[in-house]
Amino acid sequence: MDTSNLPTLFKITEEEINLDELLAGITLPTTGAAAIFTGMVRGVTKRDDPHETVFLEYEAYVPMAEAKMKQVAEEIRARWSSIEGIAIVQRIGKLYPQTPTVLIACTAAHRDTGVFEAARYGIDRLKEIVPIWKKEVGPNGEFWVEGDYIPKAGE
Amino acid sequence: MNKIRILFFALLRDRVGTRVLELDVPEEMTVRALKDKLASDHPNLKELMKNVLVSVNQEYALDETILPQGAEIALFPPVSGGSH
Repeated sequence: MDTSNLPTLFKITEEEINLDELLAGITLPTTGAAAIFTGMVRGVTKRDDPHETVFLEYEAYVPMAEAKMKQVAEEIRARWSSIEGIAIVQRIGKLYPQTPTVLIACTAAHRDTGVFEAARYGIDRLKEIVPIWKKEVGPNGEFWVEGDYIPKAGE
Repeated sequence: MNKIRILFFALLRDRVGTRVLELDVPEEMTVRALKDKLASDHPNLKELMKNVLVSVNQEYALDETILPQGAEIALFPPVSGGSH
């Protein structure tokens, strides 16, 4: 299937994430379902290592991050041919609790087409290969959060 | 010689104290040799080098990758975008 005409939006931005605008950009006349995941800054963490967060500071290697977001979108389309539109947005800069930091949305004709799984795959892959980092600032100091995935060459 | 540009991100940038370094390196230098050189020029990078990711012209590279002419290299920790 030729997917080159299907809408794929990706961006790294310091602006607030505008869900309505993104959704409009990935909705086709045939669209009947959108799965949207958004990651937020959590102020109070209870699981694992309980702690409080004052803010997170995100930074990105912008041109590579945009290229890798495009790659994630291509991987989604290769796995779920039902997907119509894809939007991937990462907000960078200083972000406070209860603020959305990342959003991935996939649209399809119907909800039983893999659209939930596609959005889930997208956020998981973003956290593996898209070069974005966050520094966590808490009441007792700050530290860089490190992932644990080592991409293969060319991945 | 090969003039390359090295970008540092996150903890690596904090340790080196700069975002960008321009460097003349020998022809046919590998990523591994560059990492060794940086660790010896900046001793506070040494312990991070085991876990560092390296991109060459914005693609993930292996230790064996040879640095192309005028390459843009980036060194950074495993990524941590999104949310937990």
